[in-house]
Amino acid sequence: MKRKLAGNAFLKSKLFWAIVAEFLILLVGFILRPDFLSIQLRTLADGTRVLYGTPIDIFNRSAEITLIAMGMTLVIALGGTDISVGALVAVAGAIALKFLRWDVLIYNTPGDYTVKPYFYAIAVPLIVCALMGLFNGSLIAKLKIQPIIATLILMVGGRGIAQIITNGKQFTTQYSPFKFIGNGSILGIPFPIIITLVVVVAVMVFVRKTSFGMFVESVGINPSASRLSGLKSGTIIMIVYTLTGFLSGISGLIYSSRISSNDSNNAGLGYEMDAILAVVIGGTSMTGGKFSLFGTVVGSLIIRTITTLVMYFGVVSEAIMAFKALIIAVVIVLQSEPVRNAIAKRRERRHLNIGGEMHA
Amino acid sequence: MKKILVLVVAAMMLLTASASAVTIGFSQIGQESDWRTANTDSIKAAIADEGWDLVYDDAQQKQENQVKALRNFISQGVDYILFTGVVSTGWDEVLKEVNEAEIPLILVDRMPEQTTLDAIEYVAAFGGDFVEEGRRMAYWAANYVEKIGKADQEMNLVILEGTTGADAASGRQEGIMEVLENYPNLKVIASQTGNFTRAEGQTVMESFLKAHEKIDILLAHNDDMALGAVESIKAAGKDPGEDIIIIGCDAPKTAFDAIIAGDMNATIECTPLYGPFVTDAVKKLIAGEEMSKTIIHPEEGAFDVEGGIVYSADGRLSEKAADVIDSRLY
Repeated sequence: MKRKLAGNAFLKSKLFWAIVAEFLILLVGFILRPDFLSIQLRTLADGTRVLYGTPIDIFNRSAEITLIAMGMTLVIALGGTDISVGALVAVAGAIALKFLRWDVLIYNTPGDYTVKPYFYAIAVPLIVCALMGLFNGSLIAKLKIQPIIATLILMVGGRGIAQIITNGKQFTTQYSPFKFIGNGSILGIPFPIIITLVVVVAVMVFVRKTSFGMFVESVGINPSASRLSGLKSGTIIMIVYTLTGFLSGISGLIYSSRISSNDSNNAGLGYEMDAILAVVIGGTSMTGGKFSLFGTVVGSLIIRTITTLVMYFGVVSEAIMAFKALIIAVVIVLQSEPVRNAIAKRRERRHLNIGGEMHA
Repeated sequence: MKKILVLVVAAMMLLTASASAVTIGFSQIGQESDWRTANTDSIKAAIADEGWDLVYDDAQQKQENQVKALRNFISQGVDYILFTGVVSTGWDEVLKEVNEAEIPLILVDRMPEQTTLDAIEYVAAFGGDFVEEGRRMAYWAANYVEKIGKADQEMNLVILEGTTGADAASGRQEGIMEVLENYPNLKVIASQTGNFTRAEGQTVMESFLKAHEKIDILLAHNDDMALGAVESIKAAGKDPGEDIIIIGCDAPKTAFDAIIAGDMNATIECTPLYGPFVTDAVKKLIAGEEMSKTIIHPEEGAFDVEGGIVYSADGRLSEKAADVIDSRLY
């Protein structure tokens, strides 16, 4: 009996429908062309062997959004939002390329590589992005500024800062250790997937194996009650926004490594919306409180699967936006409470009918 | 003593500056790319070389900022206005105000839409010819295929388009398609937008490679997308420039580097260097010459690994990228 109820609750949950949606989209792709889901092993020019196929691309290219969305889940669970993440992606790339620029000036000139600039090119962007996250968190926790306003500052200003750092220029690097972050692979698995896996597991462990996740939910549901019961809500808010900034930094390093370049105008453009969408599709409510990190990963995969599907099947450029919006609309309607309840009710009715017959 | 000397020199410079014949107001879109930066630098340098005054405004990609800048130019009473619009519509009113103030208007790079051009007065216009750039990409591809002896083979071609709705994207696409009609062996099997960015050029090419077994030629509406695609091609275990012929557009230094490294095959030039055109035009206007209202396109080249490939209907020959890279400014 209890088990059936739990099953029903899962059936009613948004996460269940997110997983259903992901499988449906993949199924459509598979029916249209079975190749869509094929994975093979390819040998590259330098002899490394990599996994090759659309499913790999989906996991690989969803890395940037998944990483940011991990932080965004906690931000939204707190009842907040962070719209500066996309700009932070641009900042991270700008700083990284600024440091690499010291050694590797042009495409064809192999520089005198030293460990130092590479270390700085990784560490400094992450630290700066974490500090920018802390700045967001402080505005919200200490000055009680509404999250959307507080993070709007860096959303607007961040790209400007990125422009100033690189003097408005786009640098290109061919420094292979840096290119490895976004383009390399270990045992055939693209490195961004490995980074994402490690981060997702680390965040999940941090949140669920300590009481931090419970604190976040508690602050998200009722900040005043949490404070009165002795929770330092301000500290929790600052930790969460700092973490989101840090994760945006990792995302920015992957992005700029993939293109071996910084792009202050386009790097991370629209990521805040994709990340929020991933969180919401994953079943976390915008009103704060309970959250699902696993759901967010599924949400991020859905977004990337749609994009990949659109590119793979060559939807005409003019129709891409509308087509994506259509699929997302279907997913969200499928997840809406009335629809979920209606489906669950039908199931219940069927169970009752069966039960009734048995009694008779 | 030294200080006084400096002051005197400064004062003299100020005097000569205010005594200079011409003040030009320049409303620039913003600094969204290396191309744009080179464009601004070229115009600034050319005006400085003439010893004229420049009132420069960076609109940060916003139309309302440009409208404000143009009105400021009018109230400051500049002698000439240089203008490139972030979008092509909605300029009628403010440009008519410029006309009413009787300040000669020079259009550079991005033009307002045709109805606006018909409705307003301007003394000169300099802009790129996107359709011709598209044609040249296709011509280069066709002639290169012939050169490597594959003219009789069916070649599969994919296109990375620019931002949907942008003049540069629709123009280049139109030109490409127009020329390809004459080469039935070059078959377009996929064409999608990569939004003019490296990152999207990379992901779209990645999908092209998964969806199509055989891709022989890539035409990218700009070099950034081509450079992004190069990474995807390498990640698919293929040799960019060899297994897939890659042609880009714009011709910044990064594209030259890629051509020399053998990752790209060619790039069609779209020059941002409008400075000399503008100062020449102003000089002619001062001398009382009348200029035509037709848009003047700058001379532009094509650059590749070896040079000598015909890239236009009138038989222009491409140049070797390695020979000219050192003279590139951007």
